[in-house]
Amino acid sequence: MNATAMDIQACDPAPAVEEQYDDAVQQREAATLGMWLFLSTEIMFFGVLFASYTICRVLYPDGFAEASRHTDMLLGTIETAVLLTSSSLIAISLRAIKLGQRRACTWLLLGTAALGTAFLVIHGFEYYSEYTEHLVPGINFGQPGPHSHAIELFFCLYYFITGFHSVHVIVGVLLITTLAVRVARGAFSAEQHNTLELAALYWHLVDIVWVFVYPVIYLVGRSG
Amino acid sequence: MNTHPDTRKAATPPVTPLRRYLWVLAALLALLSLSAGSALLKLGAFNTVIAMGVSVAKTLLVMAVFMHETEARRLTRMASALGFLWLALLIGLSLTDFLGRVPIPAPW
Repeated sequence: MNATAMDIQACDPAPAVEEQYDDAVQQREAATLGMWLFLSTEIMFFGVLFASYTICRVLYPDGFAEASRHTDMLLGTIETAVLLTSSSLIAISLRAIKLGQRRACTWLLLGTAALGTAFLVIHGFEYYSEYTEHLVPGINFGQPGPHSHAIELFFCLYYFITGFHSVHVIVGVLLITTLAVRVARGAFSAEQHNTLELAALYWHLVDIVWVFVYPVIYLVGRSG
Repeated sequence: MNTHPDTRKAATPPVTPLRRYLWVLAALLALLSLSAGSALLKLGAFNTVIAMGVSVAKTLLVMAVFMHETEARRLTRMASALGFLWLALLIGLSLTDFLGRVPIPAPW
């Protein structure tokens, strides 16, 4: 095999269908179904934290409202906008690979990863300012007043929920960057891009989790 | 092994128009400003109702258009509802306990 033939083989990911499947449709549906089952476990993983939050908020409504006012609503809103935009970019990148636009797909994936990184950087600033305001339970916490205990509970849940979410964002950024490099090197095609679709599903779920984090962390008790 | 070129072609679902993605993004950002704006108004319990309603609307938009749930087969849609259903059960049943607790003083 000469160099040109090897290059062509490297660029062409076909045959697309693995032997346990009847056809590409079945393969794609199996992959999507499997991914959704994994995402269901992710929903349950974050769900436990949201359930704890709900119970604590029912028990300490005033304390949670006061605690939420300590968070940075502007930064939280910007982070939400950044993640929503990144979700649309990865959706458009899938559209690009379906149309055979490899270059556009690569740049859109890199854009998605860049927005994910921007989210992490903004959140890092938020964590830093909370540290300086003595809002980190167990490390640097000092909130006077009758709601001190409830504020501590709120910030425990805040760090668990946003911390685990940030870990998911880091995984997503690494995954999407790797995929962008692979697309640029000729992997995937208009016919075969299941891996990209599954990565996009993961990223959208990370976005959906944040869509619920935003109101429960940043928007409570703002009108009071 | 695949011997039918037609079925391989069918593996790629129809391409969504770019305009639809951009409209959905605009709608998501509009919903975001709605939840941020309404949080600043004194609406009592409706603050929470609106905030969660907007989040559910955003989720449905992302799932329907970005995650192509409208094109997915029924089994996949059921699987995607599974996690949310389980979460609703978890929170719902936990609340029946915490909201329904009546303090009973010890008789001695």
